[in-house]
Amino acid sequence: MADFIIAHLYPELMNLYGDRGNIICLQKRLEWRGYNSYIEAISPGCQIEFNQYDMIFMGAGSDREQKLVVNELVHNCSDLKLEIEQGLPALFVGGAYQLLGKYYESSDGVQMPGLNLLDFYTQREQNRLIGNIVLAASLHGQPFTVAGFENHAGRTYLEDKEIKALGRVISGFGNNGEDEQEGIWYKNLIATYLHGPLLPKNPILADYFIEVMMNRKGITFASRLDDHIENFAHEQIKKKVLG
Amino acid sequence: MKKVALIIAIIAGKFAACLSKMVGTGGTSIPGKIALKLYPQILKELAANISEEIFVVTGTNGKTTTTNMLAGILKEKGYTFVHNRAGANMITGITTAFIKETDWLGKRKTAYALLETDEANVPLLLKQLHPRVVLITNFFSDQLDRYGELDTTINLIKDAVRDTNIELVLNADDPLVTHFKNDTGLHCWYYGFDDTNYDRVLSEEGREGRFCVFCAHELYYQRFHYAQLGKFCCPECGNKNPERNFTAHSLMLTPKIEMKVNDIEIISPYQGFYNAYNVLAAVSLAKLVGIEDAIIQKAIANYEPDAGRMEQFEINNRKVTLILVKNPTGLNQALAAINTEPARKTIFFALNDNVADGRDISWIWDADIEQITVLHLNVEAIVCSGQRSGDIALRFKYADAPVDRIYIEDELQSGIKKALSVAADATYVLSTYTALFICRDILIKLQQESIASADLIDQIQKSTES
Ligand SMILES: [Zn+2]
Repeated sequence: MADFIIAHLYPELMNLYGDRGNIICLQKRLEWRGYNSYIEAISPGCQIEFNQYDMIFMGAGSDREQKLVVNELVHNCSDLKLEIEQGLPALFVGGAYQLLGKYYESSDGVQMPGLNLLDFYTQREQNRLIGNIVLAASLHGQPFTVAGFENHAGRTYLEDKEIKALGRVISGFGNNGEDEQEGIWYKNLIATYLHGPLLPKNPILADYFIEVMMNRKGITFASRLDDHIENFAHEQIKKKVLG
Repeated sequence: MKKVALIIAIIAGKFAACLSKMVGTGGTSIPGKIALKLYPQILKELAANISEEIFVVTGTNGKTTTTNMLAGILKEKGYTFVHNRAGANMITGITTAFIKETDWLGKRKTAYALLETDEANVPLLLKQLHPRVVLITNFFSDQLDRYGELDTTINLIKDAVRDTNIELVLNADDPLVTHFKNDTGLHCWYYGFDDTNYDRVLSEEGREGRFCVFCAHELYYQRFHYAQLGKFCCPECGNKNPERNFTAHSLMLTPKIEMKVNDIEIISPYQGFYNAYNVLAAVSLAKLVGIEDAIIQKAIANYEPDAGRMEQFEINNRKVTLILVKNPTGLNQALAAINTEPARKTIFFALNDNVADGRDISWIWDADIEQITVLHLNVEAIVCSGQRSGDIALRFKYADAPVDRIYIEDELQSGIKKALSVAADATYVLSTYTALFICRDILIKLQQESIASADLIDQIQKSTES
């Protein structure tokens, strides 16, 4: 029996850019602390019982796949919303981020409805926002940086000023290239355009999810890991981007 | 009597070449070494079988690539030629190449000889044969440890060509090369670059050749093309770039090399300014041979770098394999190849994120690195290098490689040396595109040094015996 179960939503559809690096990271960091975990891949057509999971993850996908996923999830949407409100840890990347909002508008003005979990919308533009990105964020009042890579045509606008962004853009584009905001951080849900291996080189974020998972099970999170390679990779990007 | 000795030497050399092919080691210098021992005049005799011309290519960087490209052009034209392969550029390696091309009696004629020659071996070689052309690519100081002063090497080559009728083909942009004309009085052809979009006005590094070879005044540079190669003049004595016979202009470096050499449009799948110099040198030589533009263009365009397709090197008795990796599929294949190697091994991985590599390095997480079960497979060390050394190190860490076997060395040369210094029988050098040719140059150099030191040990043993 696994100590933790993480649901990987629709890996066949949403797996553009090495997103499994995030799953590998969570699993290894649990393992190094003495806990085993099980990754449950959710395929289209499955009925999802969100309250059975310790965390959910969904990666990036193209517009077509996003549409399929919205059609899948729209039936379990109220359950998902309830669990998110109750603090279920969740990481949504790229296209998965976009579908949490009200709608996604293509460049010719056609609107594709989202899950409407949170109050934001996304508009597609011709030119893509691509490159290394560094954010300033904070956790428990402690400032930290987030480093990653973004590649998206969508511009996301947060309408509800109550929704907090994941961080402020120090270098890069972020949600829309205008307001210096990147991603959203709502309860224990993080949604972001930083795709690929976000968690391996941002161990603070990885451990944030692990800490929440453990606390929700009544386990005290204490042990630190040797993160010198993680921190080296993180600083390498910062140095590259910020000079 | 003399003829019999020659034939015996050829047979011994060919036999040694067959043997080393079967054993699977490089075997590029041993056949020549044996044959030279049996018959010291062998190179002189076999060189007489060249019916047209002999070309010698020397200099610090680019001689292998330049010679290979010229070989591609001669092949396209349908000419026969003797050509010593990658790195075997000492007298022994050159002798091996002649033995391979001749018949058992040492009589078969070949039209041309293309001889990539180590700088210090040029004087020795010119005592054995008489080339029409000696091409000098450039002089950099990175072989100082082997030959002492760079100046000494340059003077030895100068002395060797003086009072011959050799034509020199010289890099017009390198102040350490251009002065050969004044000091030898030989007929010189010059190749070089016009202004390019890639030039810098200030050099970032201190370089050889910052001082005028004639008056020792500091040279004034208008532009730097690449390292100390550029547009220079001496404010004291007027020493400056000579007039070019072959001018490269309209240079584009990405996604491949595109330029014009005089009027000929040249496209090459190679990358980097230093390779543009190699292409220019090869085209200039081909023009001197009198080869048609269309054939030159076709050969250069089709000359794909074979670097990184499991290219083999032998360094200090260790098998070293260079593999280009650029996507998950290719990386999986490379790892599968490493898995089948039973010997103890080390891995070097250079991950860059320039445009030609792909700026997004996420793909390394889609590759099945987990198939490398480090402890079971005798992987003694994993050296992570390049602009994104941290990301590839993390990838190996999360694939369960023990942290105490992961080393980070951003700098390619020290990284490769680290991978070669950890005890093992084989080393795999994996690299993304923009680090590939640099890694390759480093491996070629290390291979040459390992051949040279083996020769040296040989000589010391011989002298203590006698
Ligand atoms: Zn001067």
